[in-house]
Amino acid sequence: MKIKDELINLNQQKQKGWFKQFWSNLYRSIFRYGKIPQDAEGQSYAVFNNLFLHIHPVKVSRHSLKFSYTFGLGIIAAILFLILTFTGVWLMFYYFPSATEAYNRMLDLRSSVDFGFVLRNVHKWAAEAMVVVVILHMARVFFTGGYKPPREFNWMIGVVLLLLTLGLSFTGYLLPWDQLAFWAITVGTSIAGYAPIIGEPLRKFLLGGDTVGQEALIRFYVLHVVILPGLMVIFMAIHFWRIRKDGGLSHPSENEPTKKGNSR
Amino acid sequence: MREIDTKQVFTKDANKTYGLMELVKGTKPTVGLQPDDMVFTWPHLLIRELVLFVVVTAFLLVSAFFFDAPLEEIANPNHPPNPAKAPWYFLGLQELVSYSAFIGGVLVPTFIVVILMLVPFIDRKKIGIGKWFAKERSFANGIFLTFLIIMLILIIVGTYFRGPNWEFVIPWETGGLH
Repeated sequence: MKIKDELINLNQQKQKGWFKQFWSNLYRSIFRYGKIPQDAEGQSYAVFNNLFLHIHPVKVSRHSLKFSYTFGLGIIAAILFLILTFTGVWLMFYYFPSATEAYNRMLDLRSSVDFGFVLRNVHKWAAEAMVVVVILHMARVFFTGGYKPPREFNWMIGVVLLLLTLGLSFTGYLLPWDQLAFWAITVGTSIAGYAPIIGEPLRKFLLGGDTVGQEALIRFYVLHVVILPGLMVIFMAIHFWRIRKDGGLSHPSENEPTKKGNSR
Repeated sequence: MREIDTKQVFTKDANKTYGLMELVKGTKPTVGLQPDDMVFTWPHLLIRELVLFVVVTAFLLVSAFFFDAPLEEIANPNHPPNPAKAPWYFLGLQELVSYSAFIGGVLVPTFIVVILMLVPFIDRKKIGIGKWFAKERSFANGIFLTFLIIMLILIIVGTYFRGPNWEFVIPWETGGLH
């Protein structure tokens, strides 16, 4: 904000009523740079003066905005994670991680909770979609050469995010405590048990016993609602931050010039 | 680091004369780029994110109204279904486990994760970046595409073509998909 504008602003304020002035002072204390930004200065401030927006760079390349380049897959994955967090926390109000109670709570969601079936269905389909979208996002990055220097580390963070996504999906699978959940986890954890030496201890550590039971349910629950989402947030933050530090999305101008001339 | 473009950025106007006025040295990301390649995040990127958010949310809400998440009868440790299947994304591994527990349960998943982690250190040549299926990288893309297709086939077989005792079934002959 230039000094001249500030003076004009002060003059205008003198003519306002006390409430309007208070309101304007309050608004300005939160959003220092006006309402909808109109010029380049305002557009820059809008992004880097906002905690939630400043994960973005102030400017991005046109190439990275092309829908046919990214299909928005990374952002869709992040959106799905937000939706899953929101519906997941909401579901926690109704859920009880007990082998005798959990299934009844599923039935309650269908019958006695207002829009409980929508809540559970959105969570379920968003979870399935996230697994698919994360894999497609990885394929997009591969097929466009997005893992090449200087983005090696961010690709590795991406692999960790894929594993965390699978972990979240798998731990959530047990929570309804129906036949599908019980036996899928029994089979899934037995696959882990085939590893030499560490396999069997790992399986017992995950299940808290020899078979899937109350101990396994509480372990999967804590992993699903606290540990894995927490790790996910940390690794997502690194992932997004590194996109900026590595110069935005991959761009054809990064190619080394060939003998035939630059392939730009 | 981006290569500084030494070629013409502007098309020259034949009626004007040009001379070197100033030489700007710098390592800023904008050096070497087309002058109009960058746009402001507000509103260009943010509006796209907002639209995606609305579309994804609407899509999920509509799906949630029409398709119910599966819920079977309460878990019963004494009555295993035949066959018992892992979640769909692990069915490729379960299919491999049916041939060899060690290969499907240990070797293949470890191999996949290790290779995925090493990908950017194996293929470091800065060619074919920023373009879908660039000709220069058809070998790497071919390998990855083959890997994805094999995993997809294994998952489809595990999901639809495996019946009781993990025996091969034709889904449309035994009535109904499992």
